[in-house]
Amino acid sequence: MNPALPYQDTKPQGSADFYYGINATFRFLLTRLGHKGWQSYLKSLGRGYYEAVNARWRQGGLPEVAGYWRAFFAAEPGAEVEVREAGDRVEVKVRQCPAIKHLREGGREIVREYCQHCYFLGTARAEACGLTMRLQGGNGICRHTYALPSAALPPQDMTQIREAGV
Amino acid sequence: MMGCYDFCGHYEWTFDWLEQAGGRELLKAYWEEAISRDSQRHARDLIGRKGFDGMTEYWGHTLLEESPDLGFTISRTPQAFRIDMHDCPSKGFLLRNKLEQYSDYCDHCIGWVGPMMRDAGFVIDHEHNHLGQCWWEMHPASEASAPPLAPGAVSGKKDVRLQPNWAPPNVVFDCYDKATSVDDKRRVKPAP
Repeated sequence: MNPALPYQDTKPQGSADFYYGINATFRFLLTRLGHKGWQSYLKSLGRGYYEAVNARWRQGGLPEVAGYWRAFFAAEPGAEVEVREAGDRVEVKVRQCPAIKHLREGGREIVREYCQHCYFLGTARAEACGLTMRLQGGNGICRHTYALPSAALPPQDMTQIREAGV
Repeated sequence: MMGCYDFCGHYEWTFDWLEQAGGRELLKAYWEEAISRDSQRHARDLIGRKGFDGMTEYWGHTLLEESPDLGFTISRTPQAFRIDMHDCPSKGFLLRNKLEQYSDYCDHCIGWVGPMMRDAGFVIDHEHNHLGQCWWEMHPASEASAPPLAPGAVSGKKDVRLQPNWAPPNVVFDCYDKATSVDDKRRVKPAP
């Protein structure tokens, strides 16, 4: 049980096979509704389902953001992540993405846009809290940055987000 | 990032989003195409090739991983493969965390398992009480006209219908008889 997470399970970590479900959900949405439909889904998810987290971020600011990501990745099997608070931002350095790892090990065809979901979802959640979010890397190794507006991060360069693949 | 720890939470939320975006048909297509044919392709492969042995292999692994406290029982006869779910890990997660965006989360199970069983040559008898308890019996499609088995016939005292928490006051059961589609649902409210 980790109080930094809004939802609690009886197990310390989730079942990695659920990454198959997330990957399949993305493939279905991209096929049926296109990239804009998929983005719309992630934006709604970020503002809706994740509002319980967003509310905590609004109240607690960057320390709450950092605490959340530490607790989040502790509950994801196979994750190797470092979370660092640095003044006007929180950096989440992912050395091993648990989802990409498990999808690869399971021989699954990973949707090439998989890593973009962290940007579209992260941005929706950050904007709901008055923060900005940027993403660099992907396909298993990446860096997420959540920052105050005063950090004046340059706009997201989508070419900096790598395509995912087996 | 979307995680696996609270997967059931955003999965359940997604049902409602899909139904609003494209109606019930889009949601049913999601369960069949994304979950049954894509995410759970390993289950399809096992059960399609090995029948009851594949079911034992798949659910033995999956339920043990999701429910290490053994909130379930698997039973078999030559004619039936049965699961008694005493404490559903995913519905339990939603109930404990008070997450209910979609009108009936439990629909998703038959939504993806049904088409898989249809394609593997089986039909399903199933009931759930929306409180984390359910039972499933898979039968060969050739026995689709057979009468239902009595409570306890396959799993004895482990039959979830014999447990004191199966039918609390105001319970509503969803029932399926030799079914393979979520559209085959029969809703039953026991008389008080």
